[in-house]
Amino acid sequence: MTELIRLSHIDKSYGKIQVLFDVNLTVHKGEVVCVIGPSGSGKSTMLRCINSLEEIDSGEILVDGELMGYSKQGNVYTRLPPKVLAAQRENMGMVFQRFNLFPNLVAAENIALGPVMVRRRLRKEVMEEVQTLLEDVGLGGFGDHYPAQLSGGQQQRVAIARCLAMHPAAMLFDEPTSALDPERVGEVLRVMKDLAREGMTMIVVTHEISFAREVADRVIFMDEGRIVESGSPEQIIDEPQQERTRSFLSKVL
Amino acid sequence: MTDIRKPYRPKTLIIGWVIAIPVTLALVAFMATNKRFHWDVVGQYITAPAILGGIWLTIWLTFVSMAIGIVLGVLLAVAVRSKSGLLSWLASAYIGFFRGSPLLVQLIFWYNLSALLPSLSIGGMQIDINAIITPMTAAILGLGLNEGAYMAEIVRAGLLSVDPGQTEAAEALGLRPAQILRKVVLPQAMRAIIPPTGNQLVGMLKNTSLVSVLGAADLLHSAQVIYSMNFQTIPLLIVATIWYLALTTVLTVAQHYVEKYFSRSLTNSNFNRKVVKPAVTDQVPTPSVQFAGETSKESAV
Ligand SMILES: Nc1ncnc2c1ncn2[C@@H]1O[C@H](COP(=O)(O)OP(=O)(O)O)[C@@H](O)[C@H]1O
Ligand SMILES: [Mg+2]
Repeated sequence: MTELIRLSHIDKSYGKIQVLFDVNLTVHKGEVVCVIGPSGSGKSTMLRCINSLEEIDSGEILVDGELMGYSKQGNVYTRLPPKVLAAQRENMGMVFQRFNLFPNLVAAENIALGPVMVRRRLRKEVMEEVQTLLEDVGLGGFGDHYPAQLSGGQQQRVAIARCLAMHPAAMLFDEPTSALDPERVGEVLRVMKDLAREGMTMIVVTHEISFAREVADRVIFMDEGRIVESGSPEQIIDEPQQERTRSFLSKVL
Repeated sequence: MTDIRKPYRPKTLIIGWVIAIPVTLALVAFMATNKRFHWDVVGQYITAPAILGGIWLTIWLTFVSMAIGIVLGVLLAVAVRSKSGLLSWLASAYIGFFRGSPLLVQLIFWYNLSALLPSLSIGGMQIDINAIITPMTAAILGLGLNEGAYMAEIVRAGLLSVDPGQTEAAEALGLRPAQILRKVVLPQAMRAIIPPTGNQLVGMLKNTSLVSVLGAADLLHSAQVIYSMNFQTIPLLIVATIWYLALTTVLTVAQHYVEKYFSRSLTNSNFNRKVVKPAVTDQVPTPSVQFAGETSKESAV
């Protein structure tokens, strides 16, 4: 299996408060990694660092062999200019807890924005693909709806389609179902399962333990800014070795 | 028998009427009977060519200065937010300076710029400041640069009103910073920017009267030129006031409609909008219908 994402020795602080401590993680092509852990443990921060939305204090993040966020000379890391950062982010999709669709654009335009503006593709050709993507996420007839006209589950599926339109090498999900009504969770998880089955590389921060058990190749438990435990779903969910993992799982299961 | 229902009427309402009606009547009577208002003179000059020329200049000055102010305001607001400390500081200093000094002083200052800087050489070209600074250029400079500082504050507040998650999502998509501003943040900030900008426009219309001190032939100056010759000061000031009121009224009505348009785009009232359902088949959705909203919004940015 080829390695796609590698985090080595990542430290990250906000001001004086350190939120990530020596985080190491390798994700291979086609792998689905689920990240679980209590609120405030640094799960979102880790995802945001992978996508260079945040600067890091030490360590390196490599995506497909490319150093993310910095240019390196010897041991000097210089932050890349915004345009180059943007170019690096093109190949990574990110799905947010609060969907973050653009409310001023209809669903189809939300999806088309990246391919048209960033990839400079022909609008007509993009719109055809947008229709296919909408159908893939079960929203064939909703292209002309504004986000405010869609339910949470529908918005999140549009958000996933928006990422897919960029043909990303990997996708990062930050608690994609946490803001949804319970009866809307399934429709989003179903789309994510389809993606996993099609071989998409995914890092999924989630509290849906059953989803992790079913879909993940590997589960990671984070607490207080550290990766406490990592292993197969069976290892982590059914036979956790660490006391902290056990006590967390006893609360969410 | 159906019941009769009456709304609650506070007693203060009656007191209000008791005061307002006689005062209004007295005012109207005073204006109608006082010969010194010289309504005949007002009527004579209300459409005088010099006055109409002044109105034209006032309108022109208002829109040109406002356009400069808006463009400058967006640039300054973006500069204030920028990560570059120097740029942010410079923009803040600009805003502080222009908001902190009287507009009238600024106008006179620009008019007398040549006293400070008689000539300027750019790339070997010699520019005579005295020849460039006419009452009009000084007026545009003064009004536009000053407006930029106020618009910067308005745009900045507008940009702050947009959920940071929007920028984050756009960044994660790989949009470039300029695209994020143009396509995602500014369109959403418009809702917060439009209403105060309307107020600024009305304010600008009235502020243009300050340029009369430079001798620019605006509405007030045109009235002044006439009354300096025929000494009908009050009637001509009334002529100017009537026109200023008419113009601000038009702007206020226009503002109302523009605000309504921009507040509509992000709310659930989209449900009431006439949208043609795209075919549920493989057919490409009709872009002309689907993206009508976007294009019109864009052109307003
Ligand atoms: N922008 C920020 N500024 C300061 N502190 C932050 C910021 N974002 C997150 N934090 C802090 O970092 C820690 C980790 O947060 P986060 O990564 O969001 O955790 P999780 O996603 O696991 O709930 C928390 O203590 C949080 O308060
Ligand atoms: Mg989080």
